[in-house]
Amino acid sequence: MRRTAAVPLAVGLVIGAAGCGSLTSAATEVGGVRMTDQRPVRDGGTLTVALKSDPDKLDPTLAQTLVGRTVFAGMCEKLYDTDRAGKVVPQLAAALPKTSDGGRTVTVPVRRGVTFSDGTRLDAAAVARSLERHRTLPGSARATELGPLVKAEAAGPYTVRIRLKEPYVPLTGVLADRAGMVMSPRALAKYGKNFTNHPSCVGPFKYVERVAGDRIVLAKDPRYYDADKVHLDRVVYKTITDGSVRLANLRSGDVQVGDQMGPVEVRSSLTEPQLQLFNSPSLGYQGLGFNIGNVHGTGEKPGKLRTVLAREPRVRAAFALALDRKLINKVVFQGMYEPACGPVSPESAIAPGAAGCPERDLPRAKKLLKEAGVKLPVPIELKVSTSPEDSRLGQVIQAMAREAGFDVRLRPMEYATLLEETDAGQFDAYVSGWSGRLDPDGNIASFVGTAGAMNTYGISDPVIDRLIAEGRTTADRAGRARVYTQLADRIRDQHALIYLYRQKNYVVARKDVAGVRVYGDGLVRVKDAGFAR
Amino acid sequence: MSRYLLTRLRQSVITLFLVSVVVFAGIRALPGDPALALAGEERSPEALAAIREAYGLNDNIVVQYGRFVGHALTGDLGTSARTGLPVLDSILSALPVTLELAALSLLLAVVLGIGTGVLAAVRRGRATEWLANAVALLGLSVPTFWLGIVLVLAFAIAVPVFAASGYVPFGTDPVDNMRRMVLPAVVLGSGLAAVVMRQTRGAMLDSLSADYVRTARAKGLSRRQIIGGHALRNSLVTVVTVLGLQLGHLISGAVVTEQIFVLPGFGKLTIDAVFTRDYTMLQGVVLCTSAAYILVNLAVDVLYSVIDPRIRLGGAR
Repeated sequence: MRRTAAVPLAVGLVIGAAGCGSLTSAATEVGGVRMTDQRPVRDGGTLTVALKSDPDKLDPTLAQTLVGRTVFAGMCEKLYDTDRAGKVVPQLAAALPKTSDGGRTVTVPVRRGVTFSDGTRLDAAAVARSLERHRTLPGSARATELGPLVKAEAAGPYTVRIRLKEPYVPLTGVLADRAGMVMSPRALAKYGKNFTNHPSCVGPFKYVERVAGDRIVLAKDPRYYDADKVHLDRVVYKTITDGSVRLANLRSGDVQVGDQMGPVEVRSSLTEPQLQLFNSPSLGYQGLGFNIGNVHGTGEKPGKLRTVLAREPRVRAAFALALDRKLINKVVFQGMYEPACGPVSPESAIAPGAAGCPERDLPRAKKLLKEAGVKLPVPIELKVSTSPEDSRLGQVIQAMAREAGFDVRLRPMEYATLLEETDAGQFDAYVSGWSGRLDPDGNIASFVGTAGAMNTYGISDPVIDRLIAEGRTTADRAGRARVYTQLADRIRDQHALIYLYRQKNYVVARKDVAGVRVYGDGLVRVKDAGFAR
Repeated sequence: MSRYLLTRLRQSVITLFLVSVVVFAGIRALPGDPALALAGEERSPEALAAIREAYGLNDNIVVQYGRFVGHALTGDLGTSARTGLPVLDSILSALPVTLELAALSLLLAVVLGIGTGVLAAVRRGRATEWLANAVALLGLSVPTFWLGIVLVLAFAIAVPVFAASGYVPFGTDPVDNMRRMVLPAVVLGSGLAAVVMRQTRGAMLDSLSADYVRTARAKGLSRRQIIGGHALRNSLVTVVTVLGLQLGHLISGAVVTEQIFVLPGFGKLTIDAVFTRDYTMLQGVVLCTSAAYILVNLAVDVLYSVIDPRIRLGGAR
């Protein structure tokens, strides 16, 4: 009786702590997904966008952060982009790529009549140079995703030829992110690694200045090929880390757009007549990872661990069955995210993931633990970051798992320490997540492939490895969808990475702003934005 | 006087050296691999190795310290490992913001704190003293973050007299500068004003009961001359000491205030560097803050000797 009461009690406490009385999502009440608004805008003005954290280097080869990608969306266009449906569309490329030589050669036609912000002309040589820099520069954050690339060269003034070690279907999706950004060859020659302080690309806005920890200023680029469709004079990206401060600035009008707003702030913003909400489903996921073989560190060959969790898949399966994803979403995130049980979003235009999730099944969880013959309660240390959301999530997981026969001890840790310890394999379980990539491969290969760069869990399964390779070489959409469905099932059967929920990209803007676009990749696009007439 | 100054200067240089060692070792003692924190989402082994190589993280700690001091002595504090921006430029652009914030907060604290402190002392036992004590207690008790948010809600949203965030240099637009700096200065200065008020009140009560004040009264000096010319002047030694010590707290308090009001100052620079394990930025910022702290204390010592020449003579012995 006492145990049965534990979950509702914890749930009630967390609701109280979150300061919410209702489990209904206010966002869905105002119309669900809303990626943009098409009201006409006037020319001129400065738009201030509040970012959740300070972007890192403004160099597409070295950049690592999601907020950095939002800034790039204003000043560095890519060979390909995503549309509101999540489909890949040409941006600086003139058309979608063509493959030949059994998928080992990819040809990309380059758009004509385009110039960089420093006046240099965009051509195939510039594209090839950027691709080669992404591939070879020491410390490049693009090197892994361009791993199969052998050489990029100009096959004509406006034709780029990319040679690959093996067929690599995710390449188009990869080129719709920072690896597809083209940098001015003149700026690269002049500044080299210091390009970050003098970035020059093709984009609606060009770089003006950056003040550390405060703001990045962009101004309308008159050389931009689509300049007549750009309305704003300037865009200022300000770093405001605290959600309530971001909201206060939106309310006072000091900023006009707030990026990555949390459920609590979104709820508050919906009561404000001068604010509006944009949102889109995320391509990423959030979940919980177990250490089943990370003995020597991430990226190294997994070894054998003696813990119950590592030895016994039935114990991990029991843990997964003890969790109620819908309730987690309602309690921790006020019903404003989506329950998830696979690495690929059902919204993916390339290979949609499964939409449904298994329900909580306590009797089966208990039965599995009994079959495994483990001593109850099973002790587990769950490492979580110190963010309020992670703490609440940990508390709810703790209460739910207790009912099945687990003794979860929460260990809140500062983020950098959490990264270090999980990377070194010093954990039983931890709350982990990923912002998501357009191609499903970007959500899977590095995380669950044997010795993958971000496989902190120590997963090593020849079937998973084979399916990852198959997904990379299968060209047709239906075939890929089949492969990724099999992959998701196989990953689920391992119960080493339990997918729990998918965030939504929430962006709050003032009502006098129109034309902002928020697609599945979570970036705030301001090319068409302006102040409503 | 010059001998006293030289002695204090020599002590300051030694302190600064010790601070550099503590700063360097302390930052390296922080848990969390800086390469992992800097690598962000896409942390491939190659990228991690390149980050460690680029920032000399593979080298012996003594070699790293030697390189840090060598560069620092030539004024080169390196580039931020996270943003690639030169550390010195970032510090120089953050410095005026924090200095202005600290100066305004100090001004507020001195005017309010000394004023109410004197008032509370000369009107001891009356309603004025109770009121001043109550306000001081409130100033000490209210959390900075809460006060900041409340002031923003009241004066930037409900009655939009001030701005909620941002910084405009005084030289560019003095009115806009004040519109953005008044609320942060009130938030940061309120706690200090309370401390100064209590110290002033205590010191003034001591002075007012001292023999020299009785003598002054016997000589027939006016109440204003006694309070302003004798009691307050003698009480100021204690108050200046407190102000000097509190200036360090003011700079550390700026960390929270700058976060609330999104001011691109030292505090914000520091906190961002801590969370991203940006060693180069953190070293530069902490070293400069420590140097500033040492200089302020040196200035306070010099000020002592001006206010009370007995200290100078004692120090010169």
